[in-house]
Amino acid sequence: MSATPLFSQPVSRRSVLRGGLGALAASAVAGPLLTACGGDAGGGGDGKEMSFWNFYGPSDDQGPQSKWFVDLAEKWNANNEVKVKLRYIPGKDYLNGTTLQTAFQSGEGPDIFLISPGDFLRYYNGGVLQDLSSALPDESKADYLPGLLEARSVDGKVYGLPMEIEPLALYYSETAFEKAGLSEADLPKTWDQTLAVAEKLTGKDRYGVMFETLPGYYQNFTWYPFLWQGDGAVIKDGKVAFDSPAAVQALKFWQDTIKNKVAPRKALGDGGGDVVSNLGSGAAAMQQSGIWAVADMQAKAKNFKYGIIPHPTPSGGKPATDLGGWAFVANAKGKNPEAAAKFIAWALGSTDAEGVERQRQWNTVVKTNVPPRKSVQKAADAKGTFESGVLKKFVTEIAPTGQPEPRFPPEVYQPVADAIQACQLNAADPAKAAADAAAKIDTFLKTYQGAPIS
Amino acid sequence: MRTKFFFPLLAHVLASIAVAPLLWILISALKPAEDVFSFGWPSAWTLENLRYVLFKIPLPMFLMNSAIVSVVVTVVALFFHSMAAYALARLRFPGRGIIFSGIMSTLLVSLPVILVPLFLVAKQLNLLDSYAGLIVPSIFHAFGIFLLRQYYLNIPRELEEAADLDGCGYWRRYWSVILPLSRPVLASLSVLFFLANWNAFLWPLTITRNPDLRVIQLGISGMQGQYASAWNLILAAAVIAAIPTVVVFVAGQKRLVDAMKTTGLK
Amino acid sequence: MTKKRREALAAYAFLAPDVLGLLAFVAVPMVLAFGVAFFKVDGFGNYQYVGLANYQLMGSDDQLWSSLKITAIYVVTFVPIAFVISFALAMLVRNHFRGIGWVRSAFFLPHVVSLVVVALIWQFLLVDKRGAISRLLSPLGLGDVSFLGTPSLALGTYVVISVWFVMGYQMLVLLAGLKDVPKELEDAAQIDGASTWQRFRYVIWPLMRPTSFFVVVNSTIGAVTGLQAFDLVFVLTKGGPARATSTVVLYIYEQAFTFNNMGYAAALTTVVVALLVACTGLMFAFTKGGRFDED
Repeated sequence: MSATPLFSQPVSRRSVLRGGLGALAASAVAGPLLTACGGDAGGGGDGKEMSFWNFYGPSDDQGPQSKWFVDLAEKWNANNEVKVKLRYIPGKDYLNGTTLQTAFQSGEGPDIFLISPGDFLRYYNGGVLQDLSSALPDESKADYLPGLLEARSVDGKVYGLPMEIEPLALYYSETAFEKAGLSEADLPKTWDQTLAVAEKLTGKDRYGVMFETLPGYYQNFTWYPFLWQGDGAVIKDGKVAFDSPAAVQALKFWQDTIKNKVAPRKALGDGGGDVVSNLGSGAAAMQQSGIWAVADMQAKAKNFKYGIIPHPTPSGGKPATDLGGWAFVANAKGKNPEAAAKFIAWALGSTDAEGVERQRQWNTVVKTNVPPRKSVQKAADAKGTFESGVLKKFVTEIAPTGQPEPRFPPEVYQPVADAIQACQLNAADPAKAAADAAAKIDTFLKTYQGAPIS
Repeated sequence: MRTKFFFPLLAHVLASIAVAPLLWILISALKPAEDVFSFGWPSAWTLENLRYVLFKIPLPMFLMNSAIVSVVVTVVALFFHSMAAYALARLRFPGRGIIFSGIMSTLLVSLPVILVPLFLVAKQLNLLDSYAGLIVPSIFHAFGIFLLRQYYLNIPRELEEAADLDGCGYWRRYWSVILPLSRPVLASLSVLFFLANWNAFLWPLTITRNPDLRVIQLGISGMQGQYASAWNLILAAAVIAAIPTVVVFVAGQKRLVDAMKTTGLK
Repeated sequence: MTKKRREALAAYAFLAPDVLGLLAFVAVPMVLAFGVAFFKVDGFGNYQYVGLANYQLMGSDDQLWSSLKITAIYVVTFVPIAFVISFALAMLVRNHFRGIGWVRSAFFLPHVVSLVVVALIWQFLLVDKRGAISRLLSPLGLGDVSFLGTPSLALGTYVVISVWFVMGYQMLVLLAGLKDVPKELEDAAQIDGASTWQRFRYVIWPLMRPTSFFVVVNSTIGAVTGLQAFDLVFVLTKGGPARATSTVVLYIYEQAFTFNNMGYAAALTTVVVALLVACTGLMFAFTKGGRFDED
């Protein structure tokens, strides 16, 4: 399938103004609007400074993750003529705010930025992602675990380099289990057991289990494993496959947790991804979250005793998890896309000792992830990072059951999100919700012309 | 007369209910982190939360940025608005009705609605990521013009005419007669304007990228992401963010009521 | 130069800064929005002329209709409730009594705190199970209720928080109006044996109509497209749970920034502005306006 841009004949803003806003041309402001708007830098360029927007550093608290980003930029700037300038955007604004979007809308997007799988196609179809392939040596490409680059490629060209792999699991509080008179033998393996155990764990101040309740890409991300466990999919072979028993039972499972009052309708802190605020504060006894929470707990709730288990499965289902992970991407319409691509390849893809160590630091020291590259995993193994405890479980038991987070455009993401929300929080009929969502996705797919959805 | 005691008492009770959430936040901000959800009088008081947000987080910088923006917008806006209002209320000229309706109709357009096109305009005027960008677009708002016009309509004409006999031009009339007369209304409007600008969120969020330009509301909302689990710190920052507006309000409280009265909204 | 001419020139000069500013920062963006409504825009600077297609899309967009419905419910609950409560408060604090300064300040104080902080405060107070409100209600057996997490309750909660936020402000405006109600008229009515209600109905109310009109119109505009229809919902619930608080401004914002459908968002904007103009016009016609014209 060939990747045609969303609009076969992109019109510049100049012609918009000429065509649609003739009246405006008469006004005093139109002059500068016309001249400056038409001149979107179209790649190439010779900018001497590249902006790198991210939600890690330099942050106000200057924690280790912030420091990793600052060091990265300093290191690059010491040896390169085209400098990288970090710009920190608080996570909330980056993920849900207008900052990045308004910037791109006005042709003022950053040169380098972070992107989640859920946003990949939107930016790719918008024509702003730079092909990183030529900057990436073959040995780097070969170093990535299978499937990771493919999830960020179109037509064999790589458009984003993942910085981490983040599988999901179910965290549980040992204290909560003890208090409820439960032991490790009671850890749920099936959905039914989850509901039963959660009921015993629910108390005046605590919910037995917790799934994300806030709508957004993150909620969809955390829900897909339950869909996959029953062998379901949103899209299969380019066609909608959402109206399936697997989707219905997964929607119903989340609905049951709320209906039985064993899961909260609204999480604390930053929501489902925030284990410290929920499991750590005692507000939830079990919580679905990602591997990053290991580092969060280490930093903020060191003495809290917890463990992880794979997602419980439906009867007859298979284990599954979702592998998230943000990637570095370069803006094809930025000041210097080539240099930006080089920076990304160097920052995340370098296979020399220094590059591997930098990756090891990010994935196992300042943050906890499954490293996306074989050489980095090896280096981490050599340090004994994955020898024991929850990290071992993540790497050996959970990650292998995962598949990369799907890259759905907003038009596919939204109907799924609405179905999840309606069933989980508004007691909608799962069968009807799945059918409605499928119909909407179907309509969209009929006219969709962008890069393949997977 | 029972009502004589009943209504004041009722007013006191309702007022206490209205401020209770705010007081609860104040108390919670003074609790140690682990007590933040405990319901009741804190076992111990601490200033640690306030100290942390003031010294470990660039909260003072956020406050400074907000202060600069709010003060400049307030002063410039009131100046422009009073000029425009003077013309609309006291001068005769062709097109007055149309211009006034035109100005009033902009009241229907709110920021969320024109966010993106406004951003494009700001970009063309080189206002992005600067104090000017935070300040200039916030100056123009029909509300102040309207209120001042209402006020000026009620100033007796004789005052101005006396000045005219002395051979004053329009500028002198405005500057030496109207402006001094409008001191009370300007003082109270400045309270309203300061509050509105101090509390601005959406526009600063859209127009600034430089972290050094973050205003207080942005700073706090950013904290919510970064310190999601630390309600004690978020509440402490919220308390500090509210202090300047509360101070301005308490200082201007009496004037505010007078202003509402004198603008002739009847 | 004639006096007339000089006066006109002076007037234009006085008006120039504000009029130019409003043109540049309100009118031009508005016109741009009307222009963009005829294009398909992808959020990355690519535009394609599509004629009326964006308007045609609206017919089958059920989420638009549901958000319009939510906005309508919000307006018809919030505006009257806020107005009645504010009016009652204004009557309550109209005459002097001990501590009146504190009482007035207390009612206004929520308005002084920004919407961002207001949203944070209520998120904190309404935390499930352990928040202050849950603790307060748990003796009534309502400790388990999730006010922001239950679709049927979230919109009501949002109305209550909005009322709490604006009541002090509206009270102040109404209070200013009340000060202009001549005391002699009321006294005369009292001497004639009019009851409290009659005094209110036949003396105060007629004189308060223009102020009330101003308050209600302002409050309606605020509820449809104002910051409280956006900032508060944006920080508080992001339109959730299950879209229960997705107001039409929030939906437009979502179309613009989540879906990158700037063109569609612009078309929606024009419709909302048109609706607002119609609403205000109707209110104006029915109440014969306040004092928007000098008499």
